[in-house]
Amino acid sequence: MDQEPEGKVPLFTKWNYWYILVAAFLLLNILLFYFLTKHFS
Amino acid sequence: MSWPDWIVLSLTLLGMIAYGLYKGRTSRDLDGYFLSNRMVPWYMVLLGIMGTQASAVTFLSAPGQAYTDGMRFIQYYFGLPLAMIVLCVSFVPVFRRLKIYTAYEYLEQRFDLRTRALTSGLFLLQRGLSTGISIAAPSIILSSLLGWNIFWANIIMGGLLIIYTVMGGAKAVAYTQQLQMMIIFGGMTVAGFMVIHRLPAGVGLSEVLHIGGKAGKLNIITTGIRPNGRSFDWNDRYNLFSGIIGGFFLALSYFGTDQSQVGRYLTARSLSESRLGLLLNGLVKVPMQFLILLLGVLVFAFYQFNREPVFFNQSQLNLLAHSKYKDSLVWLTFQYESAETSRLAAAPSIAANASTPASRSRSAERLLAAEQQKAGYKATVRRWLDDKDVGGDSNDTNYIFLRFVTDYLPIGLVGLLIAVIILAAWGSIAATLNSLSSCTIVDFHRRFSRRPMSTEKEFRLSRLYTLLWGIFCIAMAQLAYNIGNSLIEAVNVLGSMFYGVILGIFLVAFYRKKTGGQAVFISAVIVEAAVIFFTVLSRQGVVHLSFLWFNVIGAAGVVLLSEGLQFILPSHRQIH
Repeated sequence: MDQEPEGKVPLFTKWNYWYILVAAFLLLNILLFYFLTKHFS
Repeated sequence: MSWPDWIVLSLTLLGMIAYGLYKGRTSRDLDGYFLSNRMVPWYMVLLGIMGTQASAVTFLSAPGQAYTDGMRFIQYYFGLPLAMIVLCVSFVPVFRRLKIYTAYEYLEQRFDLRTRALTSGLFLLQRGLSTGISIAAPSIILSSLLGWNIFWANIIMGGLLIIYTVMGGAKAVAYTQQLQMMIIFGGMTVAGFMVIHRLPAGVGLSEVLHIGGKAGKLNIITTGIRPNGRSFDWNDRYNLFSGIIGGFFLALSYFGTDQSQVGRYLTARSLSESRLGLLLNGLVKVPMQFLILLLGVLVFAFYQFNREPVFFNQSQLNLLAHSKYKDSLVWLTFQYESAETSRLAAAPSIAANASTPASRSRSAERLLAAEQQKAGYKATVRRWLDDKDVGGDSNDTNYIFLRFVTDYLPIGLVGLLIAVIILAAWGSIAATLNSLSSCTIVDFHRRFSRRPMSTEKEFRLSRLYTLLWGIFCIAMAQLAYNIGNSLIEAVNVLGSMFYGVILGIFLVAFYRKKTGGQAVFISAVIVEAAVIFFTVLSRQGVVHLSFLWFNVIGAAGVVLLSEGLQFILPSHRQIH
């Protein structure tokens, strides 16, 4: 079976860094929303 | 709607059709028609993924949801970024490597033909039915608020896009989705600025957030744990846990196994561009939904300083006016309008005094005391509409934003915002029609045809199937109109009935390499029957479980049962 070349990873050297960025950004959003909820309740 | 609005609306829609026809010229084969010759750049993949997921109801319903229930709906999307990561690690490289047209082709290579046919068939059944409802739901809202004939509303919402989708296939879908998303973002941004612009002097975003917070609209994070602190409410739809876990399974299933989404990222130039489109979707989706929901809080704050209708869906008030409650409605309307007049007389001084944190808090509390009084009148109207003799629709959520648009936004912008709603529907439905057609021809017609077909015949059949699915969905929309209320909920429940099982089949395919076709096929049939059974029990109130959890149950059920069956049926063990 032909393997599709991985291709160049944009911005980072590995896709793993992209995955960490996405997960970390979600966590940051949740924390921000938590503080918004607490502050304005 | 005024004639300038009609001009803006007509030009936008006609321009979109022309653009789709112009950009949709493609090679006359399946690769061109369903995959745009795999030449789509990452940013169009991103906009395509977002445009396919965001339907008309997203923009109609989400602000109304924040207005009535607060912003906690955003938690529904918390599982999505995590699902994007899993897709990029496991699903996308396999789909790209196999150079498949539909996700279900992979299942024949991994299991057998019947598992592929079952999964593709479940997709066609679920998507065919739910797309009809997806056309009908916004059509009913537009026809109720603007007085449009429901037949023509359905044709505008789900019919006109068939022209460019049939002619241009995936390429037309990708290019129009790109333009549609730009118009949608632009329209919603202008709407947001207009709400802030129309707030009284001295009331800005900070005051809006205080008002929203005091009214419980900024309940962005909730845990679903009951007030006694001892148990979890499994029937609570939107909380941190159901959002992350249920939302993860729903997003994994939707983006990984629903051909309307798989077909979008398979069109990318390379594996890297497919991944980039999906991961950026994971980055921008939650903030985008936050802003759409914030629009609902802005509209809520706006109505603290402006006259709010006792019920946003005027057609339901007309229904009550011709029911046994007509005299009571006259009395209630008089009482409500008097209360509104008193409230609005006090509103400017409240706004003027909202300069310090302490005074802002006091002002917000005064506004909310009046808000609670209004809630009593609204509850009475809903109770009357729920009366079996009236047979009305007491859910006003989906009418709030559009009623605000038609009542308070300037001429021209009303036409643009209605175009935004219709274009959102087009983007989603066009991708779905393209995927329904690809599954019909690739997974069934071509797969079961005894004679090989020429490339030209495959292309012409693909167009024909797109047209036929378009007609089917319009016909379903006309039938769905007769079903009546709760159409949007029906789409979500219908999706959750099938998505979990389809995801379970793919999870076994990717992660349980020793499990064979027979075990997974039998498991899928049994678990699907069980999920349908539990859905019926849930609808009848026998089981108290939110529909999001059915995605988890369906997926986990197929994985666990197939594992057990594989152990019982050792003679059928397959290793791939």
